[in-house]
Amino acid sequence: MKILLIEDDREAASYLMQALDEAGHVTHHAPDGETGYAMASGMDYDVLIVDRMLPRRDGLSVLEALRAEGNATPVLILSALGEVDDRVTGLRAGGDDYLPKPYAFTELLARIEVLARRSSPAEAQTTLQVGGLSLDRLSRKVERDGETIILQPREFRLLEYLMKHAGQVVTRTMLLENVWDYHFDPQTNVIDVHMSRLRAKIDKGHAAPLLHTVRGAGYMIRE
Amino acid sequence: MSRSTPLWRTTTVRLTAFFILLFVVASIVLLALTAYQSSIVIQRQQARDIDREVEQLVRTEDTRGVRALAVAVNALARRPGAGLYYLGDDTGQLLVGNIADLPARVLSNEGFFTFNYSVDQTAPSDEQFPPHATGFAAARSVKLDSGLRLVVGRDIVERRGFAAIIFQSFGFGVVGIVILSIGAGVLTAQRVLKRIGTINATSAKIMQGNLSERVPITRRDDEFDHLATSLNEMLDRIEQLMQGLKDVTDNVAHDLKTPLTRLRNKAESALRDSATPDDMRAALETTIGESDQLIRTFNALLMIARAEAGAPSGDFTTVDISAVAADVAELYVPVAEDAGLELTTAIEPGIELRANRELVGQALVNLVENAIKYGKAPAGGGKVEVAVLRSDGNVRISVSDNGPGIPEKDRENVVKRFVRLEKSRTEAGSGLGLSLVSAVAGLHRGRLVLEDNAPGLRAGLELPL
Repeated sequence: MKILLIEDDREAASYLMQALDEAGHVTHHAPDGETGYAMASGMDYDVLIVDRMLPRRDGLSVLEALRAEGNATPVLILSALGEVDDRVTGLRAGGDDYLPKPYAFTELLARIEVLARRSSPAEAQTTLQVGGLSLDRLSRKVERDGETIILQPREFRLLEYLMKHAGQVVTRTMLLENVWDYHFDPQTNVIDVHMSRLRAKIDKGHAAPLLHTVRGAGYMIRE
Repeated sequence: MSRSTPLWRTTTVRLTAFFILLFVVASIVLLALTAYQSSIVIQRQQARDIDREVEQLVRTEDTRGVRALAVAVNALARRPGAGLYYLGDDTGQLLVGNIADLPARVLSNEGFFTFNYSVDQTAPSDEQFPPHATGFAAARSVKLDSGLRLVVGRDIVERRGFAAIIFQSFGFGVVGIVILSIGAGVLTAQRVLKRIGTINATSAKIMQGNLSERVPITRRDDEFDHLATSLNEMLDRIEQLMQGLKDVTDNVAHDLKTPLTRLRNKAESALRDSATPDDMRAALETTIGESDQLIRTFNALLMIARAEAGAPSGDFTTVDISAVAADVAELYVPVAEDAGLELTTAIEPGIELRANRELVGQALVNLVENAIKYGKAPAGGGKVEVAVLRSDGNVRISVSDNGPGIPEKDRENVVKRFVRLEKSRTEAGSGLGLSLVSAVAGLHRGRLVLEDNAPGLRAGLELPL
């Protein structure tokens, strides 16, 4: 994946570039808003990571200018302002996702991978398939190896989200945001409890589990 | 500096001076007009009197002859406090009357004259009321049919004296008015300046650092009291904010330094003691866990600060509170079950409110997490109920449990930042949960209500609809 990182903190930038490199991505770095804007409009990237507060040109203004030109590259906004209203302004300016600082690298990686593959065909498919597990988004039926699995509405949405991003890591906050539509911060392991219930329904009695816990990051559904 | 303003530069004194001047000028004009009017009236009255007497005397001569006229004039001239009379020829030879030395123009013409006169010393006069020896007269001179000249007049000095009395009292009046208004002005100015002075003194004390100082309020309930009241309310708010800031700094110092120290110690001992990469890894993982907890505490603090400082603002939308409560309850049902609790709901559907959805959600999450963490009945098990109901203009979002509850005396305390009751110290948590709930309630003009659920605790957000 080709990534452009627009971030003025050199230390944070070099750490991120190294980590993204280890994860197998090519990353370019722009230290300020103007350079970032020039690079983003001159080259094709899979994902842009934009810090909100930048020298020479503010992150949101770069984003608005790119969107005005018809540039639809997915954008992850990074910000030290974590408040709900800041998130809303960020997303309204054309951002696709918003990550408050400080963040865990695994969280950032999971989010940009999901962003980059957002335009994949899974988005439009009516039936999602992972191994022997199938989910029909219209009839809301879930089967594993021909056996019907009864899910609660929320469990269905949870599984749907995981299967849409099959093979990708999804973090707990991503699940909370996308399945429950909340950005709050639970102290308890509330997502884990839901995941273990879902796991009991789809993996119990099967030799090969489909739902995997990715240590230190989140969950992944794969064959 | 404003405190050393000279007296004459103060608005009060200037205004007072201006009004005194205005008042004095108005009084002078009014009094002068009155005096002038009355002197004219007196003058006319006198002229009419003279004319009437002349007319009567002329008629006396016409009907009863010169002798009768002479008798009449003599009688008039000898009355006490009489006017001035002359009956004689045109050369100044007095026949009857009481004035001599009439000027030639009076003796040779008819009409109304003013002139100096002297009393005829030969004429018999009343001992008690001697006429003025000399004086200034206003008189009418008539040539009679018999060839004699009749002059009837009045002493003007008398009239002028009356006018002088009027003008004199008028003068006293003006002086009195000036003195009174200056006195009133000075009193008013002093009173106003004194009231303003106390406000200035109070603010000076506050600027020197004594934030608990307040502007004194009298019982007059006047505009200064209103000003003082609103100033005091503002000072209360400022003091409260300053206190809040101080509390936060104190608590941040304590509650962030403690985990930071722990973090540092962990890293140090990992460097020193780790023999294997696995040990190193485990130590690093705990460090990350600790720092995540720190970030969480920090975020909670920021959120509380924002909620407490904020006015109900732009990020308020119409929120279906019932749906939020149902979502949160649903999210926590499995967690409660794992903890051996039964989570039920009693939610009145469709209650909408202008609110910040994320903050209300977070507050409710905090209450539910508290209930699950601390709400177990002593014998184990228990029920947690999430309820939303409308009651006279308010919506009550409450979470109740069957745990040990919070003793009445501690209820006010637990809302404070970082306060954790002894029994809960062993559980994980930041001690910020209820502070945030309380701040969110305040942001929505509502309040946090902690009640006895007999047994257990009922914690609720009461928000106005």
